[in-house]
Amino acid sequence: MASRFLRRLHPGLLLALAIGCGQPSGPPPSAVATDRPVPAGVLTIGSVSLNPTQEYEVVRPFADYLATNLHSVGIGRGRVVVVGSLSQMVEELREGRVDLLIDSPFPAVFVWQHADVEPILRRWKWGSDVYRSVVFTRADSGIGSIEELRGKIIAFGEPFSTSGFLMPKAALASAGLRLFNYEDPAASIPGNRVGYVFSNDAENTMFWVLKKKVVAGAINSDYYEALAGDRISELRILLTTDAVPRNVVSVRKSLDPKVVQAIEKVLLEMHLSDEGRASLERFEETTRFDRFPGGSEHDLASIAKLLPHVQEDLGQ
Amino acid sequence: MRLGLKGRFVVFVSAIIVAFGLVLTALSVRAQNERLRHELEDRGKLLTTVIAANTTDALAMLDVRDLRKTLSEARDQENVLDAVGFDEDGRVLTDGTLVNSRRHEQISEAELRHISGSSALLVEFEGDAMTVTKPVHLGSRMLGGVRLRYSLASLAEEQASLARRTATVGAVFALLGMIAAILLTEAVTRPLNEVIRATRALSQGEPAPRLPVRTTDEVGELAEAFNEMTRKLRDTTVSRDYLDRVLETMGECLVVTGPDGTITRVNRAVCSLSGVGEDELLGQNCRDLFRAPQGHVSLLDALGPDGSARGLETELLARGGEAVPVIVSVGTMEESAGRARSYVVVAADIGERLRHEQQKDEFVTMVHHEVRAPLTAVRGAIGLLDGGVVGELGKRGQELVEIALRNSERMERLVNDILVSRKLDSGRMEFHYEKVELMPLVEQAISAISAYAANYEVRFELSNGVAGATVRVDPDRMIQVLTNVLTNAVRFSAADDVVTVKASRHNDMLRVAISDKGPGISEDFRDHVFEAFARGEHDDWRHRSGTGLGMSISKGIIEELSGTISFETKLGEGTTFFVDIPEYA
Repeated sequence: MASRFLRRLHPGLLLALAIGCGQPSGPPPSAVATDRPVPAGVLTIGSVSLNPTQEYEVVRPFADYLATNLHSVGIGRGRVVVVGSLSQMVEELREGRVDLLIDSPFPAVFVWQHADVEPILRRWKWGSDVYRSVVFTRADSGIGSIEELRGKIIAFGEPFSTSGFLMPKAALASAGLRLFNYEDPAASIPGNRVGYVFSNDAENTMFWVLKKKVVAGAINSDYYEALAGDRISELRILLTTDAVPRNVVSVRKSLDPKVVQAIEKVLLEMHLSDEGRASLERFEETTRFDRFPGGSEHDLASIAKLLPHVQEDLGQ
Repeated sequence: MRLGLKGRFVVFVSAIIVAFGLVLTALSVRAQNERLRHELEDRGKLLTTVIAANTTDALAMLDVRDLRKTLSEARDQENVLDAVGFDEDGRVLTDGTLVNSRRHEQISEAELRHISGSSALLVEFEGDAMTVTKPVHLGSRMLGGVRLRYSLASLAEEQASLARRTATVGAVFALLGMIAAILLTEAVTRPLNEVIRATRALSQGEPAPRLPVRTTDEVGELAEAFNEMTRKLRDTTVSRDYLDRVLETMGECLVVTGPDGTITRVNRAVCSLSGVGEDELLGQNCRDLFRAPQGHVSLLDALGPDGSARGLETELLARGGEAVPVIVSVGTMEESAGRARSYVVVAADIGERLRHEQQKDEFVTMVHHEVRAPLTAVRGAIGLLDGGVVGELGKRGQELVEIALRNSERMERLVNDILVSRKLDSGRMEFHYEKVELMPLVEQAISAISAYAANYEVRFELSNGVAGATVRVDPDRMIQVLTNVLTNAVRFSAADDVVTVKASRHNDMLRVAISDKGPGISEDFRDHVFEAFARGEHDDWRHRSGTGLGMSISKGIIEELSGTISFETKLGEGTTFFVDIPEYA
């Protein structure tokens, strides 16, 4: 559930689709086994996506798992609300129609800054808790620093990717570079600008650089070595960003603290049980949840600082 | 284990069916394999071509994500083992997976050379896999290409499955073929077995059953031929039984020998005459049974050039050393061309006949010595009485003497005829041949009985058509023959009749035809004219005055002279006797 929105879509056109709203989910298997009556409380998980059906199918089992394990705090049912834009999600949170949001750092920080929510936990994915981005070029490109990217075209990945776009762009912008989006990788770029194009794929970015379609590219640092392979010697890294959490779990502040506490407990212990690990695996290969090592304020500070450079890219 | 006809036929037909099935199966499997391989290759080529076409934009835009998606879909296709997309330098961009472990790999030089200069497919086979490389061009620009590795394992599986199915079908057909072969063999051999059983029954002396003729083919013909054979064999058997009975009941001895004289068969008469059993006789040589004819070392040695003999007189050597006189005829049986002959010896016991001959001889001797001499004396005495040597007899006495003289003369003639006849029969009559003219003999004969004819007022009329013709005969015997015939003619002629005597040539012979105008010879008597003591029924005593031996003697003599005697007769008109004798130049 990275920030799934289209950067340039008009907010009014963003999908405001809430799947499962008002539709009681079927009782989870574990709930059937108990003799106690199912609580009437509902926990609503929000998600931003332009593919609401697929998103709903991904999130719903996770919501069911949570609801099943939150009976003690009056939650008997999980619900999923999928909306098409980040601003719509802010609205849903403000209205109290969404209780829980799990998203990438930049959207999470954006929501944190615009809605009454609280980042409570980190979400590990693919075995890692944080990631970085690298900006690289060919070793024979003659470019030795990011400043030398002026007048050149750089390739980013997908427009909604934190590591492939938001974070490296924000890092380059914070370094004083002025970045402008172009459609044509061969476009002529004025000397005071850094042009960028979307390759829409980290692998594309790697090959575009290697094949000199663009001068430089930015990708998740975890992919860099793998994608470069034995051609890594042909490349040179110009910039490595700070590490940022992969995903952030945010809760609506108005949510009952007991419920929030119970949610934290369930999420933090999920990876300890087979049932929990299976649910995590189905939920986009989530590894586990943990608390911010340095606290949310500290660990998300760099994101908050970079956010202004990509705020408009978040659709705001 | 030795297979019978049925077994061999089944094995043969089954072997043909199985071999045929194997060849067909092999050819079918081969053809199917080729077809499957080509289909699979075509599918691989087609898929690669389609994939290549779908990657043109991705390669042009260097959109590895899109390329990965396309190749990922290619990977999902059946039998696709690997799929890579590569750039114009031959470096792999993606293998269609997220991991993309083949990334940056360099394709082979050969593939690179191929895609660099051609837009055609490059197809390579390695083991159970086929690699199809298709370069992707955009206009004249080579963008790269795609390479799909296609599994032919399914081909092997399909081929194996096909081979199993074909083998199963082949086995079923082979089984059906064997069953058909067994049924066919049964249909073919059943009539043969029936023939075999019938033949065995026949060989064991049992009545041969009639075989059913079910078809009109060769088997049916065989059954018909067998039935025909048994029918003929049955007829032959009946004939043989009949012949056996004849041979066993015949009075003559029958001996069959091999070419070397070994006795292979005898009839009951042989055993009876020889006093030796059949078992003992079989295997002996016929020289141990028959004494060799005089002048020969064995019976078979006496055979003529044609291997036969008739009327050989010899002796059959009976048990105990007794020799039984027999007259033997020998015939030859040629069994087949080139095979040794067999001899059939028929022997008749002539002991009785010889005894009769001996008795005849004794009788003749007795007649000669005990009758003729006294008769001569009696006739002489009566002649003296008739001549008045003892004085004048009274009329009554003279009549009695004449009667006595006449009868004694007749008795003398009878005795003489009997002696002549016996000599002829025994072959002891002597002939003194000389060349003489025929006519004087005829004239002498006429003259000899002229007085006799005159007594009966019969006269002769001689016609000579062969003046000067000569014959080689014993003149006295020839005259005797003519005299007998002339006497006979006079005897049956009425007073004043003329007996014509005509000499002529007839069929290279000299003929003397003596004709009377007597009563002729009755139909019943014609066959007995030349028999001894044969006389027809006549009222006239004169006709009965002969001895009854004249014509018999005449026939015997004329045949000894190489001539013949015959007659033509017509009741109430007369008779003509023909004496034919070879002319002697």
